[in-house]
Amino acid sequence: MKFLCTDCDTAMKFKDVTRPEQGSVTALFECPDCFTEIAMYLNPSETQMLKSLDLKLGGNNEAAQPMQLVRSQLETAKGESMPNEFSPEIASSETTEGGKCPFTGVISEAFQEEPEPTEPTGPVWSAEALERLERIPAFVRPMAKMGIESFAKENGHDEITGAIMDAARGNFPAQF
Amino acid sequence: MKSYKELPNDAGSNIIGQVTAQADRLQKRLASVKHTVAIMSGKGGVGKSAIAANLAVALTLRGNTVGVVDADINGPTLAKMMGVRNATLEYTPAGVKPAVAGLGTKLISMDLLLAEDDTPVLWNAHTQKDAFTWRSTMEVGALREFIADTVWGELDYLLLDLPPGSDRLPNVAELIPNLGGVVVVTIPSEVSQLVVKKSVTMARDVLKVPIIGVVENMAFYVCQHCGEEEPLFSADETLDDAFQQVLLGSIPFDPRLARCSDTGIPYIDEYPDTPASKALIQVTEKIQNFFDEKTQRSL
Repeated sequence: MKFLCTDCDTAMKFKDVTRPEQGSVTALFECPDCFTEIAMYLNPSETQMLKSLDLKLGGNNEAAQPMQLVRSQLETAKGESMPNEFSPEIASSETTEGGKCPFTGVISEAFQEEPEPTEPTGPVWSAEALERLERIPAFVRPMAKMGIESFAKENGHDEITGAIMDAARGNFPAQF
Repeated sequence: MKSYKELPNDAGSNIIGQVTAQADRLQKRLASVKHTVAIMSGKGGVGKSAIAANLAVALTLRGNTVGVVDADINGPTLAKMMGVRNATLEYTPAGVKPAVAGLGTKLISMDLLLAEDDTPVLWNAHTQKDAFTWRSTMEVGALREFIADTVWGELDYLLLDLPPGSDRLPNVAELIPNLGGVVVVTIPSEVSQLVVKKSVTMARDVLKVPIIGVVENMAFYVCQHCGEEEPLFSADETLDDAFQQVLLGSIPFDPRLARCSDTGIPYIDEYPDTPASKALIQVTEKIQNFFDEKTQRSL
């Protein structure tokens, strides 16, 4: 994946990546000549695919840990035996969750979700709207959801209903 | 406007470099393995894992150093069959030390990483919905790490016990480009042979992986009182001619083999003189001969 600043005809460079929010990461790229920035949004499926390939946006300069993918991504892993001399400073950061890998925090930091906000900040979905949302093809559903939520916010709606979806429909190619 | 090829890199993520580093880790580990063997069936329930466990033991008993990868990520059984379910994996800077069964056979299996008996393989994700888009990729990544990050040491044989179906073999062939060969396990039933043929075609014709041979499991039943052989399936259901030509051996059904698998006791060591053990040893000899001849040819 490459990005071109069409004004400068220059390859853009990776600048930063956010932690996933609702499963979606945002990567920033910048033109080295005019410093124009663009944001690339990966939907949750794309973000998850990147995790599954054990690849990191922006490159990876850290030495690979043994079985880092399995140990960081397995939801309920068995306890592990860790020799003291292995990496005590990292081992000491072990979470209190039973059976979790002590490296989990280090390895998957880039993919750890931002903490969920305690107060809901977005509009609420009605049952009817949620049912219609489910009918949108899976691969575009997260994008459509975000778009509808943005539409609702911009237009001052606290609840997303079928009528709001109808109003937002013009912005999307997918039918729902 | 510059084209894709004219842009110098992928904006700094160096994805190719990351993938190459993964492949390098794998190749470095495989450099200490003489022969790699995939054991597959295509059809479930033919006793493939029990055959794999006993072939590993038989190879070990013949003086080889043997490692086994339980490549069935979602339905791992080999840790139980080899009696090492309670083993705790040890993580070292060099990699993960595998579980070691009684006779010295080394094993890595997802079962050794799961918390409880009833814990399924569940991967961290924002949602498990739509997991079809990435789950298979995650499983191949896990398999790559099982092979690359296990401290196998010098091995004569690394056996990979594949899950049912022909879909995992292409992954293995990609991870191990010089895969030594494939042992195909079937039972005499027409249904099994129908499915297993697809796996053979996939291996031989599509992936160009050498077929070491076919093991016919549960081929017949030997009466433990009179020693007479009886067919376990219909007498009409015999092994297809195409399979006969590459037959490594026919393993008779023996309930003690199933019992040993359940209790983690190596059947071939516990009952060395039974017809099934003798047939398994014959299969093992043929596998070794296959690689000996291959080595001779390359000299």
